Amino acid sequence: MGQHDRYDAIVAGAGHNGLTTACYLAKAGMKVLVVEKNDWIGGAAVSRSLHEGWTYSNCSYVCSLLRREIVRDLELPRFGLQVIPYEGGASFTRDGDYFAYHSDHDALRREIARHEPRDVDAYDRFSQTVIRQCRFIRPFLLRSAPDPTSFKVRDLQELLYLVKRAHGLGAKELAETLRFWTMSIGDFLDEHFENDLIKAHLAGSGIIGTGLGVYSPGTAYVLLHHYMGDVDGAIGAWGFARGGMGAISKALGDCFEEADGKIVTGSGVDRFLVEGGKIIGVALENGDEYRAPIVASNMDVKRTFLEHTDAKDLPEDFTRAVKRFKIRGSSGKLNIALDALPEFPAAPKNASFLRGDLHCSTSLEELERAYDDWKEGQWSSNPYFDMLIPSQIDPTMAPPGKHMMTVFVQYAPYDLLADGKRSAENWTEERKKAFADCVFDKIEEACPDIRQRVVHAEIRTPRDIEREVGLTEGNIFQGELTFDQLLFNRPVPGYANYATPIDGMYLVGSSAHPGGGVMAAPGANAAREILRKLGKTTSNVAAAA
Amino acid sequence: MSEKFDAIVIGAGHNGLSAAASLAARGKSVCVLERADHIGGMASDRMAHLLYNPLPRGVQAQTRKIDTVSMSPDGKHVVLRDGIASYASGEAHPDATDFKTLHDRLVTYAALLNSLAESAPPGLDQGLTSLAGLREMSRLAKLGIGVKRLGTPEMREFLRILLTNVYDLLLDEMPDGPLPGALASDAVRGAFAGPRSPGTVLTLMYRLRNGGSVSLPAGGMGTIANAYADAARKAGADIRCGVGVTGVIVEDDVVLGVTTSDGGQLLAPAVLSSAGPMQTMQMAGIPSFDIEAVRRARNLRAKGTTSKLNIALKGRPEFTGLTKEQAKSRLLIAPSVAEVERAFNPAKYGELPSAPSLEMVMPDGQDRLSVIVSHVPLDLKSGWTEKARGTLTETVIAAIEAYAPGLRDQIASTDLLTPADIAQLTGAPGGHWHHAEMGLDQMLTTRPTVGMARYRFGVRGLYLCGASAHPGGDVTGMPGRNSAAQVLLDGVA
Amino acid sequence: MMDGRIDTDSIAAVPTGLIPGPVQSRLEKISTAKSWGNWAGYVSPLVLDTVEFEYFAIRNQTTLFDVSPMHKYRVTGPEAQAMLNRMVTRDIRKIKPGRVGYALWCDEEGMVIDDGTLFRFSETDFRLCCQESMHGWLLDAAWGFDVTIEDESHSIGGLSLQGPTSFSLLDAAGLSAVADMKPFDLREIEPGLWISRTGFTGDLGYELWTDWQKTGALWDRLWEQKQPWGLRAIGSQALDMVRIEAGFMAAKVDFQPVLRASRLGRGRSPLELGFDRLVDFTKGHFNGRRALLKQKESGLRHHLVKLEIGGFKPADGSLIYHRKKREVGHVTSAIWSPTAKRNIALAELKAPYGGEKINDLWAEVYVNEEGIWDKRLVPVTVVTDPFFKNDRARATPPRPF
Repeated sequence: MGQHDRYDAIVAGAGHNGLTTACYLAKAGMKVLVVEKNDWIGGAAVSRSLHEGWTYSNCSYVCSLLRREIVRDLELPRFGLQVIPYEGGASFTRDGDYFAYHSDHDALRREIARHEPRDVDAYDRFSQTVIRQCRFIRPFLLRSAPDPTSFKVRDLQELLYLVKRAHGLGAKELAETLRFWTMSIGDFLDEHFENDLIKAHLAGSGIIGTGLGVYSPGTAYVLLHHYMGDVDGAIGAWGFARGGMGAISKALGDCFEEADGKIVTGSGVDRFLVEGGKIIGVALENGDEYRAPIVASNMDVKRTFLEHTDAKDLPEDFTRAVKRFKIRGSSGKLNIALDALPEFPAAPKNASFLRGDLHCSTSLEELERAYDDWKEGQWSSNPYFDMLIPSQIDPTMAPPGKHMMTVFVQYAPYDLLADGKRSAENWTEERKKAFADCVFDKIEEACPDIRQRVVHAEIRTPRDIEREVGLTEGNIFQGELTFDQLLFNRPVPGYANYATPIDGMYLVGSSAHPGGGVMAAPGANAAREILRKLGKTTSNVAAAA
Repeated sequence: MSEKFDAIVIGAGHNGLSAAASLAARGKSVCVLERADHIGGMASDRMAHLLYNPLPRGVQAQTRKIDTVSMSPDGKHVVLRDGIASYASGEAHPDATDFKTLHDRLVTYAALLNSLAESAPPGLDQGLTSLAGLREMSRLAKLGIGVKRLGTPEMREFLRILLTNVYDLLLDEMPDGPLPGALASDAVRGAFAGPRSPGTVLTLMYRLRNGGSVSLPAGGMGTIANAYADAARKAGADIRCGVGVTGVIVEDDVVLGVTTSDGGQLLAPAVLSSAGPMQTMQMAGIPSFDIEAVRRARNLRAKGTTSKLNIALKGRPEFTGLTKEQAKSRLLIAPSVAEVERAFNPAKYGELPSAPSLEMVMPDGQDRLSVIVSHVPLDLKSGWTEKARGTLTETVIAAIEAYAPGLRDQIASTDLLTPADIAQLTGAPGGHWHHAEMGLDQMLTTRPTVGMARYRFGVRGLYLCGASAHPGGDVTGMPGRNSAAQVLLDGVA
Repeated sequence: MMDGRIDTDSIAAVPTGLIPGPVQSRLEKISTAKSWGNWAGYVSPLVLDTVEFEYFAIRNQTTLFDVSPMHKYRVTGPEAQAMLNRMVTRDIRKIKPGRVGYALWCDEEGMVIDDGTLFRFSETDFRLCCQESMHGWLLDAAWGFDVTIEDESHSIGGLSLQGPTSFSLLDAAGLSAVADMKPFDLREIEPGLWISRTGFTGDLGYELWTDWQKTGALWDRLWEQKQPWGLRAIGSQALDMVRIEAGFMAAKVDFQPVLRASRLGRGRSPLELGFDRLVDFTKGHFNGRRALLKQKESGLRHHLVKLEIGGFKPADGSLIYHRKKREVGHVTSAIWSPTAKRNIALAELKAPYGGEKINDLWAEVYVNEEGIWDKRLVPVTVVTDPFFKNDRARATPPRPF
């Protein structure tokens, strides 16, 4: 029954990383197949029309991290990708005030001064540190992480590169760097700022997508992870992909198909086929089988190895390491179709900062308490959210005069506590609605008419994201960004170079270094490793220069 | 004429005494000045009760290794001895094997890290060309070789868990309960951190350098302090109590000596301060330090979280499910890792814990229950009123009484020390056990602050020798000893 | 409105974009060039009419320029002197009340944060004027001292009256009391009007300081004396020319203020910028002292120098070569000096060039001649004196022109 097609390489999962790997391999002349369980491609970078006339970026929703080297290599603009920076942002208070994060530096300084004159220069000091750290880390994103336990020439070379870069910082900056990487975003902000609202506004980037609180050590790094991207060289800037995040996947897909790649949608991998420790292909859920000596999995490390690989094909300690890899669902999402632009009574009419990211959290304590709820298996009763109305800038997202709003909500647990038990099954329709109500109540603090404006709303819990996209627990990074899961530890110590214990099988998703976000770096780095293994030239893969 | 010494040590806590002993042993004339009328600082019965670390060479005191009992609400208390877990009833613990494996692994790793604790933190500014730089490198290389000797799988595990959190470390290996709860509470005792906070595996290892056992000093913690003092005196140090240092005399960026609370002054080319960085700066004068250094000292994280409740008893309380002998162990109330984490939550917001993690002992031959209460905030939002103190005392007593029915009737009196009290009594910054949080961002090369990690404290001849310096807190004497070694190396004394 | 909300009308949204300074309405009327720049968020004229004529007005008559956007901080209190002396590199005890001093201040590594002028009103009362926002740094520097820091940037206005006839114009405007003021003197000439004999032109000039709200009236008072002293309002481009002639460096141009540099190693020490005379190692500890002592021992990495460049084309941005081969630095500021009739520049050279080695240096100048690029290597001479010097700058009382 099954059909047997032979390929040079198969990529399991058409997320942005899988497609990136596929593009590079196809452009290197290989015959490549991408298989995807959904009827559409993109994984968590999708534009979906769930209510007629509206487009939702219903998972990832803004773009900054996508490496410019990859965009250029794969000529994504030729396939329609357009990234437009957005304008500032704001945090609203319950009593009708707000902190506006103006993109205009002078206006931002005036706004900070309005809240706390002592914080004006502090903001520049904060930015200086963050940008310095970004400059330090960015070159590592498009390199494989060295294995410090290895004596292989390449590992030693990479290690030497790291040591050289670190040494180049000088004693003080290196110490400051060590400190920054191990700090909590809360402590970092407390060191710089006096004003609670300003701190709360800046803290969000330290927790988005993680199972950590603002006072958990390591969250300063998470903030960095959100700042190390750029839009046209403006480090830390974020933008919209015109037409929604699916535009990125579409461009990658078109690029791949132009290079004679083939995409099969509608049936996911049932299992990875292994013979004598070597990968030989994949069997799909619909019974089809495809053969290739190289198989790259875009699924997260748990899904790949615990659900779709026969345990007997894997060393026991590897499986154990995969089991303890932490992929924690911590965020939910609301995608909302609006019949008109909602009103923000606190803000001046047509304020440009409304076209940026909006929040209603007013202190670090509030954010930390939101985390405490999550630890106990509850959604935050006073949640943090990152809310945008992209249709103000991108006319393709909603019918003229109507709007689309995306609300990323932190925290929401995967295994919800109900009746004394924690389980993903507890996410009933009723509880989903209660979760959404909690978020709407909070949005009303900034936007009292929000409920009247809603035409349609999609409520996504970690459970829903897992079901639809395939991300374990709905974790947006395919694995927590903690010290034990970064660099050479990601995803499993000894397997940070995208290879796996199965010969010819690679991991190309965000579970691998350098981690999550719509960055495509894992996909590109993995492609480089695969090509190197095959003895092909790798100089065309995301070379930094 | 002012008296002259080779070195003056500010504070007669165990670190100050340890520094004095090291310097005196090398033939230096040393004077230790202590503001209180007794030596010991935090190493006193009123504030502490157990040793988690080995005594340094030269310090002689009687100690007795004791078991740990982690109390369980269901009565199945867990006894821990050298990493072996069993139920108090003698029944085997189902997770004993997993626990032992983990415990031994941590002890092995902790021993490796010991080499880092025993001298100044690796410097980054020496370069590879100087002799000092080479010495540094060889020390790091030794650690590297030690790690390498573990074999690749263990080395990878070491590198993976080093910076992680104790919550995941424990619960990856065993189900939650009093057994992992005990280790979790050890990891965060004295810290402004919960088991979920990254960095808590390192703080746990710091406690396990002694092989994981705890000792009860015969005659109480005061005898430990006395032993440190004896060692210093024996080496020739001059210890003066009741004389506080009011200022460090600095001229042309060089230390000349100190002025004292009795209006006098003592001269020395080296001054070692066991006070916190900010207190030391204030003694030497803020203008003597760079603006950034002062800012870092201001931002030092040192919020004490540990309270001590001393309960004087009319008799020996009985703990349900424990024999009289078992009740002489170190008793922990840390029923699960999750509970320890939960107990930390209120401290973050300046609130009192409702179910705090407790460590208690009944010192030999005394009708006294000594209780260390974790996660009590320094800056209680409502203020440390009599009412707040009463509430905390009551919370603790009720928590113990759940395991020792009738305890309340045996209480003669109670003495509560909040972190604020400890700060006030000992001068420890923020009343913090370790003078500065032992967070990953305040360890090794960044302890206490960037640029001040190698005991040298800005002005030539001024040194830090207290727990805020590397390697940190607990009664180890190591910051003092390392600091003295740096003084000798620099040739200032 | 929901209960408990504050009246949102009372929240004055901060303005976005550039905001007017105290004399903007007057400048709008005068400006024919309509060439505006951003100075600390304020609209500031780059050129009001024609840069050449504005330049010659500075050197030949007198000129008016609004310096109100400059950052100004009041430092007061019993320990103000101690606090500032720990912050800046020179010994400010030598700046007496009623005097102004130029100062630099460094980070802990001895790298210059900014430079500025320190006005001493009394034993315990100072004002620091500088280009970079320094409020945060001053607050940090003041910690532990009995001082108060007040940001006067938006409450005090300043007008810079510069040029050979500036005294005559003040005299005509009823401010003849400045007659006996020596360079760097500071005096309250009328209640609420402080005048200092300071400026960045290397020539005779004054700066007038008053309340922000009164700055417009002060402008008018001077403007009324336009004739016969040839007063001309100018933009910052002409000023930039004269400050290069006078040999003054500019922040973000000739050196990078270290607190604003996001790249490592961009900082320069006062020694490297040629300000040894403003670093007093004997006055006690000051910020960066230990690092500067170390640098003095181990040697400087760079030298900021004044250059005379061959040829007639300004060498802005040119690379400097030794023996026409080895790249040793670059020009940071350059103009053709219309007064000295020389091609002049400030340049940063890698040590030892500009220090011990000053011979055989060459600048690579690119010139676009109507669409065709010409590349020239021209000889370079390191000079020590300012390119513009005139004794009327120091004469007291000043001559009428």
